[in-house]
Amino acid sequence: MEQPVMGGDDYIISAERLEKTYPGNLKALDDFTVRVKRGEVVVVVGPSGSGKSTFLRCLNGLEEIDSGSITVDGIPLDDREEHRLEIRREVGMVFQAFNLFPHMTVLENVNLAQQLVRRRSRSEATEFSLALLDKVGVSEKARVYPDALSGGQQQRVAIARALALMPKVMLFDEATSALDPEMIGEVLDVMRSLAGEGMTMVVVTHEMGFAREVSDRVVFMEQGRIVEEAATATFFTAPARKRTRDFLRQIL
Amino acid sequence: MHQRPLKFSLLDYTLLALLLSAAGYITFRITVQLEYNWNWSVIPQYLFRYDQEQGRWVANYLVDGLITTLRLSLWSSLLAMVLGLFMVLARTSSSLFLQLVSRCYIELMRNLPPLVLIFICYFFLADQILPRLGLETLVAEGPEWLTGMVGWCFGQPSSLVPFCSALLTLAIFESAYVAEIFRSGIESVSRHQWEAAHALGLRRHQALIHVILPQAFRRVLPPLAGQLISLIKDSAIVSVISIQELTYQGTQLMASTYLTIEVWITIAAMYLLLTFPCSMAVGWLERRYRRRRV
Repeated sequence: MEQPVMGGDDYIISAERLEKTYPGNLKALDDFTVRVKRGEVVVVVGPSGSGKSTFLRCLNGLEEIDSGSITVDGIPLDDREEHRLEIRREVGMVFQAFNLFPHMTVLENVNLAQQLVRRRSRSEATEFSLALLDKVGVSEKARVYPDALSGGQQQRVAIARALALMPKVMLFDEATSALDPEMIGEVLDVMRSLAGEGMTMVVVTHEMGFAREVSDRVVFMEQGRIVEEAATATFFTAPARKRTRDFLRQIL
Repeated sequence: MHQRPLKFSLLDYTLLALLLSAAGYITFRITVQLEYNWNWSVIPQYLFRYDQEQGRWVANYLVDGLITTLRLSLWSSLLAMVLGLFMVLARTSSSLFLQLVSRCYIELMRNLPPLVLIFICYFFLADQILPRLGLETLVAEGPEWLTGMVGWCFGQPSSLVPFCSALLTLAIFESAYVAEIFRSGIESVSRHQWEAAHALGLRRHQALIHVILPQAFRRVLPPLAGQLISLIKDSAIVSVISIQELTYQGTQLMASTYLTIEVWITIAAMYLLLTFPCSMAVGWLERRYRRRRV
């Protein structure tokens, strides 16, 4: 049976009361509720092991939640495989370790899902891919294999690959954490321009400068729970909770 | 990396001399003590003979046997790869039933002596099942191109049924090992690759076909090729069901000529002729893939 879908919903993502426990009684998400509006950039921060990545990975069904509900663009993430695939088509994800396909050229990496999932012809896909690669600044590397690229270039290709499905939401899972310092900037630039174009983004990051400058809202979590959630300016200048102030003092 | 040039030292020459004298001593013992009459001159005629009717040189026993071994190895390798792929897909599928089927198959095949398997397959397949399919009549009465093609691929139509049962047995037996090799390859691909494929909206089989298997296949190429070389060697056991491959021809020739040592040394050389180039090819592949880091 179809679940009732709320029409005209402001929220493109609503994650309601998520619970997830890893084996060994490790609470990754504990009564965790986050809603994201269209065009909003939400940054999720917190100490390592607080469940930030788990939250992102639950949003596109890479991990199962124990209870709660997730709805993306009106589609419920439930047991139906079709819903899961539909959500993944609307949600692009960028990983910490890039995860490019090493046996394919950069262009083939970006083409793959367009051809398989969007059923575009090879030439259509290639045209769009080259435009995307140009946008992230690696178009001259289209014909090489990922191992010939620097980390920053690989991550930009990974962003292009995620954008190739024309997603409505982009998830960034510590996209700059595996990069050498001098390459972080080029990846953040791409993310900044995406945000400028109005892309809805959920970003897990340790780059507080980026969070402060680009995001609309910050969610601070610890041990699977939300400690504080506030508009970016408020979060950084006048955090309500003592735990948040401690965290910010450590990290800034 | 700088490597020191490799050279023979005095010790190496001494060892070489010792080895050569050991070989000489053994030859001497055979000749003198066994009163063995070496006769290499008759061997070539069992490789090729001059056919008076056709007026040209044709393959004789040994080369015939070599060709049969080659056919047997080639077709059973291909079949083993296909079966192995199916088994590993079943083994890694999400269905418990398929997982159990492939586990049983793989464990059974890996834990039975191949010789026993050969007999079981021969008496059931070749005796009971294959003749009912009417393959022989189908081929014999079929159009000329079919008869010709089958003859070229599988040898004489008269021995088609035993040949097919030997081929199937070898393929079934080897496919269990091939499946295990494939499985190690699939498992060696990082789970991040699965996640990246899933995050792009690929279905499980699309991720498998386009992302996982190509990477797995490159990694298992060397062990896979090694397994196929061992299939060439293992194919000798089907001589027990009178498939006229190289080893069987050897036993026949030995019985009729009593040239035991010459015959088996020739046969050893002929097996080497098949397997050694394969080993070289595997080494070349390994070096090539190491360069291209997959």
